[in-house]
Amino acid sequence: MTGLRVPPGAQKAAGPDDGTPPGPPAQPPRNPSPFGLVGWARWGWRQLTSMRTALVLLFLLAVASVPGSLLPQQGINPSAVQQYYVSHPALAPWLARLSLFNVFAAPWFAAIYLLLFLSLAGCVIPRSVRLARSARTPPPPAPRNLARLPQSARHQSTLEPAAALDAAAGVLRHRKFRMRTGDGWVSAEKGYRRELGNLVFHLALLALLCSVALGGLFGYKANRLLVSGTSFANTVTALDEFHPGRLVSPSDLQPFSMTLNRFTASYVTSGPSRGQPLTFNAYVSYSAQPGGAIRHDNLRVNHPINVDGVRVFIIGHGYAPVFRVTDGTGKVVFNQPVPFISVGTSGLMSTGVVKVPDAHPDQLGFAGVFLPTAVDVNGQLQSAFPAPLNPRVSLVSYKGNLGMNGGAPQSVYTLNSAGLTQLPVAPRPLAAGQSIKLPGGAGTLTFTGYRQWISLAITYDPGQFPALIAGVAALAGLLLSFFVRRRRVFVRAYPGPDGQTVVDVGGLARSDPAGGFDEEFAGLAGALETASRGPSTTGPASTAGPASTAEPRTTDSPSLTTTSEGKSD
Amino acid sequence: MPDNQGLSHLSDHFLIVAVVLYSLAVIAFAADFAFGRRSPVVAPAQADVPDRVPAGIAAGAGAPPASTLAAGTVAASTLAGGTGPGSPAESGGSRPRTPAAPGRLVRIALLFTTAGLALHVAGVITRGLAVHRVPWGDMYEFVISVSCVAVLFFLGLMIKYRPYHLGLFFMAPIVIIMGLAQTVIYTPAGPLVPALNSYWLAIHVTAMTLASGTFMVGAVLAVVYLFAERHTRRVAAGLSTRYGEVFRLLPSAERLDQIAYRTVVFAFPIWTFGIMAGAIWADQAWGRYWGWDPTETWAFITWVVYACFLHARVTAGWRGRRAAYIQLLGFGCLLFNLLGVSLFITGLHSYAGLS
Repeated sequence: MTGLRVPPGAQKAAGPDDGTPPGPPAQPPRNPSPFGLVGWARWGWRQLTSMRTALVLLFLLAVASVPGSLLPQQGINPSAVQQYYVSHPALAPWLARLSLFNVFAAPWFAAIYLLLFLSLAGCVIPRSVRLARSARTPPPPAPRNLARLPQSARHQSTLEPAAALDAAAGVLRHRKFRMRTGDGWVSAEKGYRRELGNLVFHLALLALLCSVALGGLFGYKANRLLVSGTSFANTVTALDEFHPGRLVSPSDLQPFSMTLNRFTASYVTSGPSRGQPLTFNAYVSYSAQPGGAIRHDNLRVNHPINVDGVRVFIIGHGYAPVFRVTDGTGKVVFNQPVPFISVGTSGLMSTGVVKVPDAHPDQLGFAGVFLPTAVDVNGQLQSAFPAPLNPRVSLVSYKGNLGMNGGAPQSVYTLNSAGLTQLPVAPRPLAAGQSIKLPGGAGTLTFTGYRQWISLAITYDPGQFPALIAGVAALAGLLLSFFVRRRRVFVRAYPGPDGQTVVDVGGLARSDPAGGFDEEFAGLAGALETASRGPSTTGPASTAGPASTAEPRTTDSPSLTTTSEGKSD
Repeated sequence: MPDNQGLSHLSDHFLIVAVVLYSLAVIAFAADFAFGRRSPVVAPAQADVPDRVPAGIAAGAGAPPASTLAAGTVAASTLAGGTGPGSPAESGGSRPRTPAAPGRLVRIALLFTTAGLALHVAGVITRGLAVHRVPWGDMYEFVISVSCVAVLFFLGLMIKYRPYHLGLFFMAPIVIIMGLAQTVIYTPAGPLVPALNSYWLAIHVTAMTLASGTFMVGAVLAVVYLFAERHTRRVAAGLSTRYGEVFRLLPSAERLDQIAYRTVVFAFPIWTFGIMAGAIWADQAWGRYWGWDPTETWAFITWVVYACFLHARVTAGWRGRRAAYIQLLGFGCLLFNLLGVSLFITGLHSYAGLS
């Protein structure tokens, strides 16, 4: 479609609904009766594959992408979508009905790009055929009057016309033009790679779409939060989130396992960007399959680990304070790290909940914050720095029914407060080793320390490599189609009035997006002139005439009278 | 590796002086419009043609030196004949309308621009040295670098096509952008967050910087084109033209359109490459090569709109004004991505360094 030389208004027969002005007036009167089913299909196909339709579809694609960037998207930030439901309760269901929270998977979005690619295929494939055909046909004969071409030049030669043409053909052949000669003329063409590039570009876009589809069908994405000192195996049940492609079954998952041995982070300690992270290092060990060799690696941002084509990325980190809870009966019913999630401040203040369903006589729940570097700002606890310089936990305690037996899945990061009563415990930030003694003998919670956690993204995308190839091909095609120009050069030689041979050179760039054919033509005309001077012995004598007087120089001087009409098509 | 605050301050000083020099260039360009009456006396103008012309003609390779003379004479005839309102500008409208040789004020303006660019480049380099990395890690650095590319490309156009009187329209926005960069979005030199700590920063953001700076030049050309085209239509319709004098000095509408198109043709593959490099980086950093992050989405939208422009240029009924509007729309998307998305929409690309 790019660089379609024939304006589509002229290329496609003007259809009934096509109110294009350039439609040739010689069209027969529009009579709907010959429009049978085939006629309509043909008309529809022509409409679809016209440049105008492709343009409109391209525009639509751009416009359709806009809501996907302005509204929260289910596939990117599901919690923001939920937030949107809360803040716009009337509007949100309507937006959801229009798939506006999932624009890039919406049927109407798919309709646009599928139509676009259909239009593209319908345009590009016939053109490939035409290109193959035209690459085998010789260039057209030279027009009669070369001075009318966008680029033209004239010079004189002492050679006979035939010899001058031979010399010209030699120059053009040397410059790799495809040639055709006739009676008194040479016609040459070059730059088929432009059209080739154009086709490669568009076909590569089709291939790119197929690669994306391949990834969507056979790939998967998953997330997993991993606390320091713990392990997980790549199975559906062990993953926190699992987004399989359409044709992925749980048994297709690569059976690796991974352990986080240690995680370290460093931060800017002074200056205006104090607290900004500098490095994250996750020291992990993993094996490709159960019982396989264990390898150690340092997982960093921008340095994923590749296991069997599956890649594991570190995409987040945080703290998991460790709690030990003794219930009213004196039994230790809970002793484990609990991941707290950052609220987004630079000090990495994090919130989380502790649920102790096994406590007796009442279930216990705690909600609170973890502060890596706790400071007291006017009676308000804040975290001044993301590193654990002064770690504190502040909790609110509840007892009652956690509501975990109802069957409905529950987030591990929120408490369902319906069946809970808050216990009257004076809020006091706990340092490691400190405890809360719950009133009424309900139990004791001890903050025993903290660990760090990382969140991992696990992705498998078989379309990734094909997409890269398609992208590189698209770029190469784009460059060819922009910077190679398809041009024709014609030379005519005939005897002039003064016995010398007149050589006319004409040039025509059929497409020249990057410009520069005028310069190429000037250089070519100069080379042709030099070549047509023939053996150097006759040169000075013959050129002395025109050069000696001023008049022929201004009227005749060939390479200077290079003209152009600007439009190159 | 601590950041070198001394170098960072030096960079600030360089850039402030660059803005001052650019401002002086703008004043000189404007003064040329106002007072630079191009005298019909050709001699002085022609005198400096030979040292200007070779750069433009050099690509013409085989052309004998006589062509320099020819360019000189064309320039001279344009100067001499350019008294009737609009006559030479609208007549040919094609390539060999060699622009007039630069007047004294234009030469002064170009001198200021070149000196300003030298300091601009120095400012960018010292900023990079101060932070031990490519100096486009936050929005301030990105804007400074994009405007640097724009000025560089603009000077390239000046050498190649010599549309001297476009200088005012180029340099005025540059001064405004640089001024805003120094005041509103200034960010002190600092280290990068881990996600940006990759050699892909140099590849991806460099491509985006180059393409953005070039698209910026294309957008200015499109705006000037729209005015020139309107003027041409008014002249053709026999309507009054108050600014005939201005448009006579500018390249013809057709020429502006052509240069703008070539600018986009230059920038579009770079932008494409930049998106692809970004995709490869995203694949390494976040585990997917494309995720419809807001910044990615808008880079895609920008790409699509510029693709529309390129297609519109070869579609009957869409050339000229409509194509120019599409090009401006594309640049609008680029700007929105740079400013709107970075500042107001949270995404993975939120690296502006502003709070």
